[in-house]
Amino acid sequence: MANRVAIVGIGQTTHSGRRPYVNDGELIYDAVTRALEDAGLTINDMEAVMAGNMDMFEGHHLNDAMLNLYSGAAGRPGFKMNTGGTVGTMTAIQGWYHIASGLYDVCLVIGWEKHDEGPATPAISTITDPAVDRHFLVGAIGGLATVSVAYMQRSGCKLEHAAMVRANASQAAHRNPMAHMREIYSVEDVMKARMVMYPLNLLMCCPTSLGATAMVLASESKAKKICKKPVWMKDHVTVHVEYGGAQFGIGEKRWTSHMEAGAKLFKRNHITKPMQETQVFEMYDPFAFAIPMWLEDFLVCEPNEGWKLIEKGALKLEGEYPVSPSGGVLCTNSIGDSAILRVAEAALQLRQPIRRCTLHQLYRRLRHT
Amino acid sequence: MKEKVQEELIYINKTMKIPYKWRTGEVWGEFFRELKENGIIYANQCPTCGRAFCLPKDVCTRDHTRCTDRSKWIPVGPKGTLVTYFMAEQSFLLPTTGEMLKIPFAVGIILLDGATVILQHQLEETDEEKIKIFMRVEAVIKPKAERKGNIFDIVHFKTITE
Ligand SMILES: [Zn+2]
Repeated sequence: MANRVAIVGIGQTTHSGRRPYVNDGELIYDAVTRALEDAGLTINDMEAVMAGNMDMFEGHHLNDAMLNLYSGAAGRPGFKMNTGGTVGTMTAIQGWYHIASGLYDVCLVIGWEKHDEGPATPAISTITDPAVDRHFLVGAIGGLATVSVAYMQRSGCKLEHAAMVRANASQAAHRNPMAHMREIYSVEDVMKARMVMYPLNLLMCCPTSLGATAMVLASESKAKKICKKPVWMKDHVTVHVEYGGAQFGIGEKRWTSHMEAGAKLFKRNHITKPMQETQVFEMYDPFAFAIPMWLEDFLVCEPNEGWKLIEKGALKLEGEYPVSPSGGVLCTNSIGDSAILRVAEAALQLRQPIRRCTLHQLYRRLRHT
Repeated sequence: MKEKVQEELIYINKTMKIPYKWRTGEVWGEFFRELKENGIIYANQCPTCGRAFCLPKDVCTRDHTRCTDRSKWIPVGPKGTLVTYFMAEQSFLLPTTGEMLKIPFAVGIILLDGATVILQHQLEETDEEKIKIFMRVEAVIKPKAERKGNIFDIVHFKTITE
């Protein structure tokens, strides 16, 4: 049986589009310092340090090694995660494993991105085979646009619903002082934005942001001494996807990694009505169709119901089931930091809820790869 | 957080040009040889589950079976059905060429007739109004003299009516 793991310290930088006056190490240092302050600990209390970022994006190999003076990893165990958009959650999960296993009691986990230092889109495209489909991917946005078109086709969701999602996100981000795009947009504003990659217009895509987030994780015995309001990381599921037709329901029943993750997570936590048994969902929502589509795919709501929940206003900040009350990735996308920020924001929601919400409520989270 | 210094500091501007030579392996090598020499698009079949892969797969994702048995390969397409698509209306830097993408650039996810998995390739049609999900498309293959044994031996997929 795994030991319980809590989040006891949270630190993030402000997020923005360009900060030419700092380097990536300085971002890490700021986030780490804030997380340590929040936990009331020093770097010497950290038994291991986990780092998450994508080497290709800023053009350094082993940048965690180069930047270990900023993170505090020098002289400590721990390792680097190098997945894509998921990297931040994967890094938090590595911290979880190290504590759940009993190996360490206190772990520092960090994710960061200095998005203004290089073009992420060609770097992302290198996930595909150079001989085959690399030319036809056009970064993450190409893939996200294709799933959006397919979602509209099968569910009846319209562009206007994506615009509602982005308008809701802008309201949430406006109240989050650490978010990148904090302007309020109406549905009409979003609909008028210039098209980038049909069906995604500029506001329906996540921005290119920079920032860093760090968290201190601790075992149960330490957590209660460190912090009055530890937030427990109850469970996590990771699923790898097959690149093929299954996600479009070609030749077989539609199947995605989200569905597999949602089914496993809810089953082993005995959750049968996710929208009633959980109160908030902080989603990695990098494009406006993500919220309705992935709520369905994570089995939080019924198929083809996601956009109807948007239409009813149920997913707004003040709605019955707020999704991404931080403003989400739609308003702040510092990629290497985006996913760990979701974990941090979910934890912040449980510490200082936007609405009635019991503090002992367990933190549950879904991520996909 | 309040920033004290807001002006830009010194930065290093650098473009990295790094040469690579990627080997295609047995299955892809054979797929591209057939495309180049005979202008035929092949799917390789998994001997365990029977799925026909186009684009081909070295190993079946579901059962971890090697799919190199050449006698199990079947010609697929060149006609197929559009499953979904995207259309770039803003240009992006391409890692394949180091150049900016020429827009508009429409890419389709296509299921070739006879295949059980999808491939992704350029669509000839770039008028968004004229692209319909489940419309029929056909691969336009370059004349033999121009074929090089790579994915661009398929120029694009054109819309067809049947
Ligand atoms: Zn198989």
